Amino acid sequence: MLCAGIDAGSRAIKVVLLNADERQVIASGCADQGVHHDSLAMRLFEEVLERAGCRREGVSRIVATGYARNAVNVADTTVTEITCHACGVHHLVPDAMTVVEIGGQDSKLLRLNRDGVVFDFAMNDRCAAGTGRFLEMVAARLEVELQALGMLAAKSQKPAAISSMCAVFAETEIIGLLASGVSREDIAAGVQASIAARVASMAGRNLNPPVVFTGGVAMIPGMTKALEAALGQPVSVAPSPQMTGALGAALIASRQMAQKGSR
Amino acid sequence: MNDYPRRITLQEWDAHYVQLREAGMREPPYGGTLRRHVEEGDLRLRTLLFDNSSAALRLWNFLLTEEDRLREARTAGKKIVGTMKDLGTVPVMAYALPNVVAFYPDGAWWIPCVMELSEGLFGIADSLGIDEAFCPVRAMLGAFITEAHFPVPDLLICSAGATCDDFSAIAQRLNGLGYPIVWWEIPHRRIPDPDEERVELPGGFAAPASQVAFVREELERLRTVLEQFAGVPLNDGALSAGIARANEVRRLLAELRQLTFTAELCPLPALEMLIAEMLAIHFCSDQAETIEVLRELLREVRGRVEARQGVLEADAVRVFWVNPVADLQVMNLLEDCGGRICGTEYLFSHALDEIPENLPPMEALARMALADPMVGSAADRAARICADTRRFGAEAVLISRIPGASHCATEGIIIAEAVRSRLRIPVLEIEVPPLSDSIKPMLRTRLEALIETSKELRKTCCVPE
Ligand code: SF4
Repeated sequence: MLCAGIDAGSRAIKVVLLNADERQVIASGCADQGVHHDSLAMRLFEEVLERAGCRREGVSRIVATGYARNAVNVADTTVTEITCHACGVHHLVPDAMTVVEIGGQDSKLLRLNRDGVVFDFAMNDRCAAGTGRFLEMVAARLEVELQALGMLAAKSQKPAAISSMCAVFAETEIIGLLASGVSREDIAAGVQASIAARVASMAGRNLNPPVVFTGGVAMIPGMTKALEAALGQPVSVAPSPQMTGALGAALIASRQMAQKGSR
Repeated sequence: MNDYPRRITLQEWDAHYVQLREAGMREPPYGGTLRRHVEEGDLRLRTLLFDNSSAALRLWNFLLTEEDRLREARTAGKKIVGTMKDLGTVPVMAYALPNVVAFYPDGAWWIPCVMELSEGLFGIADSLGIDEAFCPVRAMLGAFITEAHFPVPDLLICSAGATCDDFSAIAQRLNGLGYPIVWWEIPHRRIPDPDEERVELPGGFAAPASQVAFVREELERLRTVLEQFAGVPLNDGALSAGIARANEVRRLLAELRQLTFTAELCPLPALEMLIAEMLAIHFCSDQAETIEVLRELLREVRGRVEARQGVLEADAVRVFWVNPVADLQVMNLLEDCGGRICGTEYLFSHALDEIPENLPPMEALARMALADPMVGSAADRAARICADTRRFGAEAVLISRIPGASHCATEGIIIAEAVRSRLRIPVLEIEVPPLSDSIKPMLRTRLEALIETSKELRKTCCVPE
């Protein structure tokens, strides 16, 4: 039986096609998000189906997640990204107790129980300063590719202190730092540290290890180290971190099918 | 004639109203359609879902006609006292006097939401230097200037001290603009030292006898002010009778809360419960009518509980809600996402507890004032929230922050940590501005996630240490 998960995020759409019986991913894909959430999701879904040599009718259930989940008309149902990321990470790293997910638009901290069920979560809802968008803005300001930001940060001697809690003011601060001669390396490292500090503030005072880092920002070099420093404990990156939401959605779709079958 | 209980839109209410009238519904003088309030500027009603009972219609009409009542009171020669930053003490004293109507200018808090910012109150506050760094209660400043939402009271009484920094700053600005205010002071409630005489307060708190005596003296001073204002003595007998009437309201509300929060099926939506609770703190400018409105609502709820009828799905997640929400629509949203309210702490829980009737009235009021959650520590507040969450069997706690409101910044975290460690249930903090339309998808995600999480946890008992 085939099931699919579609993660319609704010910056990218991800699709996972799952062999539900074997719990094996048979194809996946990722594309930029745009204005027409539904058609973009549909196009990517069809691409993934084609690559796997499958047809839409062969997919028993589709779960959509992510910020634009309600716009994905092909989905049978929607589940929030909190539940989906937890499910995806638990599948890949079964002993994960804490999941940090930093996506394009927000960041989340999920606490899981031993069954991989979320028992508590926090989300950064104040501003973009703890998200992937902030990194994109900084990369543009420093005139480097997003992926190169980590390399730049790794060369820092003395990370700059970014004090603003708001992305707009932080941008002003970065312009000021550049003008006063602070190196791009130190600014890049300072920005990563400030994002990590924001996430750490969501964690509060007690955090259960192991901590797993997921979401698109987990692919940016240097972010894991910054997060480890802010949380004060080791952090591992989930395999294919950008895909864990879509994977979780596909797994939930298969679970829902199993429940239907057992009824 | 009432249909099966459900939440309906404003449009549905238009037709439903006609049916109810044809079926013989009797209404008080302030009755009528909900639609007319929209025509008068309460635009937010267009997007809300309302309970479909005539009792709920009366509740809404009572709330939304307070301004008319105040203006009628003035025309009838009654004196109007504005009791500010006081949630349950001075209104009790004021209503013990004949010919005096007390109201709560802080209620202007909701005008920007209800009128969808069309009234311009924030702009006026901004121009007076009270910008969005302050709590939305700054709308009150604009309301005083425009005089479009309530008549300027003949007397203003405001608490200061441990209640709320934002409000004190805003009220001081008002004072500076030429609106005289009688201030009374309330200290931060502290735990009595071992060598101090300890006084038990309503709500399970305690304070040193010296603090109670101080507050009693402050209230005695207010008694004199009110006597001079009304031109009649405010003796203990009248005060005791006033306390008894206030307690009648509180008892009705306590029963309503108990029934609604513990019923198997949710008998009354969150929005109507919020308004019912608001009535208890200031009586919406008519204490006697408040009692009638609550009685009718309670009858409706009792009937629904007995008939095992509810307005929401049977598996709705039981959520305890902390802090009043700046945008009323979010109460609907929680229910749309699969939640129901089972317990609330809107910062005025002391106005819901009964005032002791076995004590001299001024002593009883002083103790009540000191039981205010705002004058105690955040830890005290958290303890009560945990106890009530347990009592009502809530499965999750939702803390709604108010942008700019100083108490929210620190208390939310303390309350969340207490709930996590003592109750081990999910806690969610959200921030809700007076108009939340632009962030609705984000809020929906959080609320849906809370509901999903709580439902998943029903299937597992494994919450880590
Ligand atoms: S800050 Fe809180 S307590 Fe103070 S006026 Fe605003 S809502 Fe009320």
